[in-house]
Amino acid sequence: MTYRYTLELIAGMAVVAFCVLFLYTSATMSGAEFAGSDNVGSALIAELSGTTVENFQPIIPQWEPPSGEIEACLFALQAAVGGILVGMVFGFWYGQARGKIAE
Amino acid sequence: MHIMEGFLPWQWCLVWWLIALPCLMLGVWQLKKLLGADREALPLLGVTGGFVFILSSLKLPSVTGSCSHPTGTGLATVSFGPWVTALTCAIVLLFQSLFLAHGGLSVLGANIVSMGIVGPLVGYGVYRLLRDTSLNVYLTVFLVTALADMFTYVTTSLELALAYPAETGGVVSSFILFMGVFAVTQVPLAIVEGIVLALVFKYILTLKPDILARLNIFSEKQIEAARSEC
Repeated sequence: MTYRYTLELIAGMAVVAFCVLFLYTSATMSGAEFAGSDNVGSALIAELSGTTVENFQPIIPQWEPPSGEIEACLFALQAAVGGILVGMVFGFWYGQARGKIAE
Repeated sequence: MHIMEGFLPWQWCLVWWLIALPCLMLGVWQLKKLLGADREALPLLGVTGGFVFILSSLKLPSVTGSCSHPTGTGLATVSFGPWVTALTCAIVLLFQSLFLAHGGLSVLGANIVSMGIVGPLVGYGVYRLLRDTSLNVYLTVFLVTALADMFTYVTTSLELALAYPAETGGVVSSFILFMGVFAVTQVPLAIVEGIVLALVFKYILTLKPDILARLNIFSEKQIEAARSEC
């Protein structure tokens, strides 16, 4: 059985297309800030309820990352935890599969 | 898809929490039963949960000029159904509301309902519909993932529209407005996420086909067919 790469190819093309789309959007769209849609949504809530975003106070007090750097760090941490899990399991399965062949 | 802390009236927070909690308890019960019956399911849970962690940490740019998160719930949905997936999402969303100020404890229920319950529930419905057809399993995983992602954001829009009906046009017109912010942004992300997770599913299928057959996720015939194509 030969290994086929159809899905890898499609995934590669999708990622490239996604990047091109991003570059095109950021080059042509004026006022594209690439802010989080969460924030855009919050702004819309403020608009619909006729107040400002600052008027919305947390119901339960909340810690906020003091800067974008710290937020990025914590997001990277989250991704790293996921990455370790995925890598560990795939490694475990790979080892199992190899072990079976060796027997 | 995060509704920010303080942006949902407490009555609605309560409603969504009351919907989320029984689903989470159902997830705990299912997970206990599953792991009691088959310890080999644990690594699969690790992989599928791992992708929820990874993908929901990425904020990707989109055509609307704003950024949004993929959800990564498709693989867990296909493997374990919506309730266990809701549990995984609850862990991620708790982390994000405690440390990242993405969402918050009062709106956690609403965010669990959108990302962990309605999205995966729609995905699971699609999976159940397509599982017994002759459709390629990768296409099934793609559709489940993309639709679970899309419907997460449709649900967020609905949650916000219900809490903030527009003065003229009410819930419907503000639903359309929120869809414009959340759902349109999400379309390209959902498609790419679907393709990437279908590729990941190929690797699971290549390395550990027996677990997929044993948990009855796909039939042995489908798995065998999928291994020789794509």
